[in-house]
Amino acid sequence: MAASAGGRKLGWTVGFPWRRIILTLVAIGIGVFVLIGSYRTLTLPDAERIIAETWFQLMVRGLALGAVYALIALGYTLVYGILRTINFAHGEVFMAGAFGSYFFAAAFAESGFLDRHIVVSVIVLLLSSMAVSVGVAVLLERVAYRPVRRAPRVVPLITAIGASLFLQGTFSGFFGPDFKGYPKPEILGGQWELFGVTVKRTDIVVFLTMVVAVAALQYFVRRTTTGKSMRAVAYDREIASLMGIDVDRVVLTTFAIGGLLAGIAAVLYSMTFGQIGPFMGFLPGIAAFTAAVLGGIGSIGGAALGGLLLGILQSVGPYLLLSGFHVPSPFQLKDVVTFSVLVLVLLFRPAGLLGSEEVDRL
Amino acid sequence: MNLRRTIRGGAMGGTVLVYLCLVGLVGTFSDLSLIGTWLTAAGLLLVLPPVVAGAVMTRPRVQAGERRTMALSTAGTGAATGFASGAVLAVGMGLVQVIGIDTVRRVFVSVSPILMETLTFGLSTWGGALVIVIGAAALGGAGALLRSMPRQIRRPIVVGTVAVVALGLLQRVVPSIFDTLSIERDWLYRDITNGLQTTGALIVFLLSVGVTEGLRRLQGRSAKEAGPADALPPEEGAAPEGRRGVPWGGVVRVVVLAVALVALPQLAGPVVSESLGTVGIYVLLGLGLNIVVGYAGLLDLGYVAFVAVGAYFFALLTGSHLITAFGLEDPLASLHVDPFVAIALVAGIAALIGLVIGAPVLRLRGDYLAIVTLGFGEIARVLLTSDWLQPVFGGARGLGDITDASIGSYGFRHPQHFYYLVLALCLFAVFVSWRLQDSRIGRAWTAMREDEQVADATGVSTVRYKLLAFAMGGAIGSLGGAVYAIKLGSLSASGGTFGVLVSVTVLAVVILGGLGSIRGVIVGALVLIGLPDLLSQFEEYRLLVYGAALMVMMLQRPQGLVPNSRRTRELLEVDRSQDRWTGALAADKRVASEVSPVGEGSG
Repeated sequence: MAASAGGRKLGWTVGFPWRRIILTLVAIGIGVFVLIGSYRTLTLPDAERIIAETWFQLMVRGLALGAVYALIALGYTLVYGILRTINFAHGEVFMAGAFGSYFFAAAFAESGFLDRHIVVSVIVLLLSSMAVSVGVAVLLERVAYRPVRRAPRVVPLITAIGASLFLQGTFSGFFGPDFKGYPKPEILGGQWELFGVTVKRTDIVVFLTMVVAVAALQYFVRRTTTGKSMRAVAYDREIASLMGIDVDRVVLTTFAIGGLLAGIAAVLYSMTFGQIGPFMGFLPGIAAFTAAVLGGIGSIGGAALGGLLLGILQSVGPYLLLSGFHVPSPFQLKDVVTFSVLVLVLLFRPAGLLGSEEVDRL
Repeated sequence: MNLRRTIRGGAMGGTVLVYLCLVGLVGTFSDLSLIGTWLTAAGLLLVLPPVVAGAVMTRPRVQAGERRTMALSTAGTGAATGFASGAVLAVGMGLVQVIGIDTVRRVFVSVSPILMETLTFGLSTWGGALVIVIGAAALGGAGALLRSMPRQIRRPIVVGTVAVVALGLLQRVVPSIFDTLSIERDWLYRDITNGLQTTGALIVFLLSVGVTEGLRRLQGRSAKEAGPADALPPEEGAAPEGRRGVPWGGVVRVVVLAVALVALPQLAGPVVSESLGTVGIYVLLGLGLNIVVGYAGLLDLGYVAFVAVGAYFFALLTGSHLITAFGLEDPLASLHVDPFVAIALVAGIAALIGLVIGAPVLRLRGDYLAIVTLGFGEIARVLLTSDWLQPVFGGARGLGDITDASIGSYGFRHPQHFYYLVLALCLFAVFVSWRLQDSRIGRAWTAMREDEQVADATGVSTVRYKLLAFAMGGAIGSLGGAVYAIKLGSLSASGGTFGVLVSVTVLAVVILGGLGSIRGVIVGALVLIGLPDLLSQFEEYRLLVYGAALMVMMLQRPQGLVPNSRRTRELLEVDRSQDRWTGALAADKRVASEVSPVGEGSG
C-alpha cells in the first residue's frame, strides 16, 4: 500500500510530536509579534502617539460592532447546536432583514414620522426587519436544509453556499445592487458623556439591545417548553423524536429564532453604519461566525462573549499591533484580524473560550 | 383532477413567474430575440414555468394502459395548473396597475415600463393579463400533454426545442462559423442580432427531430445485434481498447476532437475566441479545484488565493510596473524571467503556498475547512489591495505593463492566440487529472474522501495526501492565474477580480459538471462561463444563476451533469450516522451534551 513505503522512510518521524512543536513555535511567534507590536505602538514619539481617549473610543466602537456580531453569531450557534452544520447563508438572513426595514425607514424619514414618533418607528422597523429575516430563514431551512439533512456532509454545505449567492442575487435584482442610505433617528445622532469620554448614542443603544436579547434568549432556551425541546434535540435528535418531540418543527423554530436575532442585528447595524446593500451580509456573517467559534460554538454565552471580543480585536487590534511598524492605514487589515483569529482559535482551542473539548470538529 | 395539487402547482408556477419579473430577468432579456421578432428570451422565461408546472403536476401514473384514456383529463389538469400560475402573474400586474408603476418601482427597481410592455404585449394592462392567463392555461395543457406522451414522441420534440433555443442563444457564434466556412446562412440568421429566422428555426427543429429519431432506430438495431452490453456508454477514463482489436472508433473520435479544438478559434472569430479563452481559464481552475474537492474531498472556498498568487507572481517575475497616481513605477521586486519559465516557477510557488495553507487546516472537518479556506482567500485579497504592501503589489491600483508570453513574434495576448496557450495548459491539466484518477495517489484520495479514519487505519497517510491535494490543486490554479495576467496585461485586486465570488464560481463549475469528473469540468465551464460570456445581458445575474445552479444540482442531481461513477454512489448515499443512536455514536452524543444551548444547563 501507499503508506508502507513512506512509512519505512519516515519511520523515525512517526510518533514524534511534530504538530505540537510547530504549534508551540507558531504560538511563540505570535506572542512575540503582539508584544513587540504593542510596545512599539505605545512608545511611539508624541507626535504620532495615539492618545488614551482614542483608544477608549476604539474600544467602545468595537463593543458596539461586537454586539452586532454577537446577535448574528447566536444564529450560527443555535443552528450548529441542533444540526451540526454551519449555516453559510446566515449573513444573507441578516441582509434580508436590513432590506425589510429599509423601506419603512426611508418612508418614515421622508414624512418626518421617524423623529416625531421615535418609539413607534423603531418598533415598526424592528418588527419588519425581524419578519423578513424570519421568513427568509424559514424558507432557507425548508428549501436548502431539510431536503438534504441526511445527505453526506458536503451537500448541505454547498446548498447553503448556493442559497447565499441566490439570496444576494435576488435582493440585488429586486432592489438594485447599489448601496442605499439608511436614515438614523435624530435622537440617536448625538453623543453622550460617559466617564469623561464622549460616546456615540447609537453605540450604547446597540450594546444594551444586545444584552437584553441575549438575556431573553437564555431565558427562552432554559425555561420555556420550546426551548427545552430545542435542547433535547441538540442533545440527541433520535431520542428526542422518540420522546415525542417534533424534530422538524424544532429545527424550523431554531432557524426562526436565528432569523429573529439577525433581524434585530440588521436594524442596529444599519442605523450605526447608515448604509445597506445586497452584499452587506458577507463580512459581518463571516465575522459573526468567527465570533461564535471564538466563544465556543454551540454556547449562547460564548457567542455573546466571542462577538464582543472580536469586535474589540477588530477595531483596536490593527492599530495596536501595526501602527508601531508604521504600516499605512491599518484599518484596512481588520478583516485579516478576523480570519487570523478564526484560524488561531481553530488551531489552538477548537472548542472556543466557553466550549468544552469537542471531538466532532476534528 | 386533484384540486389541491393543481392549485399548489399553479401557485408555485405563478410565484416563479412573478419572481422572474421582479428580479429583472424578464425585463433584461426582453431585447434578446431568439426566433424572428416573436420569441425573445424573456418570452421563453415566461413560457417555461407554466409548461413545467403543467408537466410536473400531471406526472403520469405507472400503469401505461390507462394513460391514453386519461389524456383529456390530463390536459385539463395541466391547463388548470397553467391557468392558476398565469392568474398569479395577472394579479401581480393588476396590483402594479392599481398602485401605480412609479410607486412600485421605488421598491422593486425592475418593475419598469419595459417590463410592463413585455408582459402586456402592447395591449392595455387588463388585456395583457387576459392574454397571459389564457396563454398560461394553454401552455400548462401543452406541458401536461407532452408529459403524457410516450417517450418516443416526447424525446424528439424536447431535443428539437432545445436545439432551436441553443442556436438562438448562440446567435453570436454560429453565424460567424457559417461565414468562415462560406456557407449560406440567410435562411437561418439574417442579421446577427435578431435571432433565428422563423423558417430556419422550423427547419432546424425538423432536422433535429429527424436525427433523434434516426439515431434511436439505429441504436435500437445495433443494440439488438451487439447485445445489451455494448449499448452502455463507456465509463469515463475507461480505455475503449481490448474490445475488438484496434479501437478505430476511439482514434477517429480523438482526431476529430483535436481538429475541432485547433480549428475552433479560426472558425469562430476573435469575439468568440475571447470567450473561449475565458472558458479555458475556468476549465483550468476547475480542474485544479476538482483535485482538491472532487478527488480529495476537501471543500476549499479560498481557491481564488491561488489564482491571485499565480497572477501576481507571474507579473512580478516577468517584470511589470506599479500603477500609481503618477504613472508607472518600478516595484520593489521585479525580475525579468522568460514568461514560460515564469509560468513553471509560479506553479512551484503556488504548490509551496498550498502546503503552507494546507498545513494548519489539516485536522479541520468539512465545514470548518471551508470557512477557514474562505478566510485565507479573503486575507490574500485584502493583503494584495492594502496600502501596506503597495510597494510590492501596487495596492488598489495594481500592477500594469505585464510582459506578454510570446514565441518569436507570436504574442499570446491576442485572443485567438491566447486560446492556444490556454488549450495547451488545459490539455496538460486534463492529462495530469486523468493519470491521477486511478493512480495510487488517486486511490488514496478516494479512500480518504470516503472515510478518513478508515483510510488512516489502513495505512494511507492522510496528512501527506491532503497536503499533496492542496499543492497540486494550487499549482494548477496558479497556472490559470498566470494566463489570466497574460490575457489582461494588468492586474488589480480591487473590485471582485480576486474576490470570493471567483472561488464560488469555480466551485459551481465543478459541481455542475460533477465532482471528480474531468469532462464535467469542461461542460460546467462551457455552460456557466461560456454561455453568460456570450450573452451580455447575463452579467448582472451571475450570482443568481450560480447560486441556483449550486442549489438545484445539490438537491436534484448531486452527482452533476457528467458524473463520475464512484462519486455518484457516494453522493447519493444516505448518511444515517447522524440519526443512529446505537453504540458507535455514543461519542457524538457526548459532544452534543457538551456544546449546544444545552451545554450550560445540563452539565
